[in-house]
Amino acid sequence: MQQLLSILLTGLTLGAVYAAFALALVMIWRSTRIVNFAQAPMAMVTTYVALVLIDAGASYWVGFVAALLSGFLLGAVIERLVVRHVEGKAEINAVILTLGLFIVLHSLAAIVFGARFRSFPAPFGIRGFQVGDSTVPLTGFGIFTLVAVLVVMGLLVALFRGTDIGLRMRAAAFGPEVARLLGVKVGRMLTLGWALASVVGSLAGILIAGGGLVHPGYMDSVVVYGFVAAVLGGLDSPGGAVVGGLALGLTLSLVSGYVGSEVVPLSALLVLVVVLLVRPGGLFATVHERRV
Amino acid sequence: MTVLDVQDLTTTYGAVRALDGVTFTAPEGKVTAVLGANGAGKTTLLRTLSGLVPPTRGTATLGDTDLLSTPAEEMTRAGLAHVPEGRGVIAQLTVEENLRLGSLGARPQTERRFGLERVFGLFPLLGDRSNQVAHTLSGGERQMLVIARALLAEPSILLLDEPSLGLAPRVVGQIFDLLRGLVDEQGLTVLLVEQNARSALSIADVGLVLDLGKVVVHDDARTLVDDSSLRHAYLGF
Repeated sequence: MQQLLSILLTGLTLGAVYAAFALALVMIWRSTRIVNFAQAPMAMVTTYVALVLIDAGASYWVGFVAALLSGFLLGAVIERLVVRHVEGKAEINAVILTLGLFIVLHSLAAIVFGARFRSFPAPFGIRGFQVGDSTVPLTGFGIFTLVAVLVVMGLLVALFRGTDIGLRMRAAAFGPEVARLLGVKVGRMLTLGWALASVVGSLAGILIAGGGLVHPGYMDSVVVYGFVAAVLGGLDSPGGAVVGGLALGLTLSLVSGYVGSEVVPLSALLVLVVVLLVRPGGLFATVHERRV
Repeated sequence: MTVLDVQDLTTTYGAVRALDGVTFTAPEGKVTAVLGANGAGKTTLLRTLSGLVPPTRGTATLGDTDLLSTPAEEMTRAGLAHVPEGRGVIAQLTVEENLRLGSLGARPQTERRFGLERVFGLFPLLGDRSNQVAHTLSGGERQMLVIARALLAEPSILLLDEPSLGLAPRVVGQIFDLLRGLVDEQGLTVLLVEQNARSALSIADVGLVLDLGKVVVHDDARTLVDDSSLRHAYLGF
């Protein structure tokens, strides 16, 4: 019982991070029909920004805010300067471009920040609470992770559903030409979309790093699970990304606890293949077929 | 009075001249029908006017605004609303959200002729379905939605591209009657692109026939309907 609870709580926390990462991918896919393979190194770079500040003596929170802000800027700059040139062109161009960005950001980070492992602080304890003589496997940092992801998702829903700018962003994503004819500055909305997605990705990056080690490739395993989560939910569905992320986190945690941590990557693949066989569009697909 | 003044407008796609020296004016408070066969350049004319396609030559002014130097996303604020072919509903948004987009791009002016209330009065169906996602609407309802959305932008001229496409004749009649009413009561100016020449001329004041990118006829709608040789040559009825 104790073990199951522990596994479920760990899975939920991990799942929240996968969900955030998957959500970032879905936001970019929905607005520009691009799978952003550079999402992980972008989040890695912003986590390093936080780490540099923290190592220079700033508090964790200054670093946290700086990571999210630099994520916003990085997303906007990358869309405006690089991605803009392949939007609306053949899909393969965008794939090659974001894969290229992946490599470039990796190498730049190794040059600028160094390729060695560095430890990243956590703002709350990473040990479970002590109740009597047993330890509840819920850590302060785990709670913070869940709350942070939920708050950011809530803010995004409020932005997209409740504000004029959110309505303009959705219009620009769903019908760019019609949106232009209605006075929406579509280019600006796509830049904002990339910037916001990059903030969500940065959040995943700094949460994964907390209490652990970072190096230029530390996000790469998260990419795989983030992608699986996004595809599980259906690349088109933000709600699906969140559910997919949580489901994957729980599943992988159960596998890791009861079968063995060495089969975790394999089970992620298995889950992906099964879902794609049963529902090719993903669990929450809004379209039933797609051009391939 | 002239609202829209187009002179020598030419648009080319590669080696093809889709518009070739098009010159005409659209009078205020009237319906100008733009007719012609497939490939005559009707849609290109609208897309050039609203800034979606760059012209190679010519001028187009709306009141004091030079349309050809105005980007597409500034058109509604300049007073031009373009309802593109194939409805242009944003199907993933609700009816109410589609309409709100229209108001967000509205021309800055003191007097509002069309508020949401007014539009729901004109199209009661939209009021009943305001919370429905737009892809659940029928073809006729979608056409009403895009016209209502365009009206909320408070345009001085409304460009409509094939509003009758794929609609039952009864629905086409309804929509055209409603348009005529708006023109008569609100002084709206309409540039109506249609393949369905008979229906279009039934509500138009002026008719313009395009053939291979050139204006071949520009006359009163009445004259066009009465001249059987013209009708046979270009309009197919």
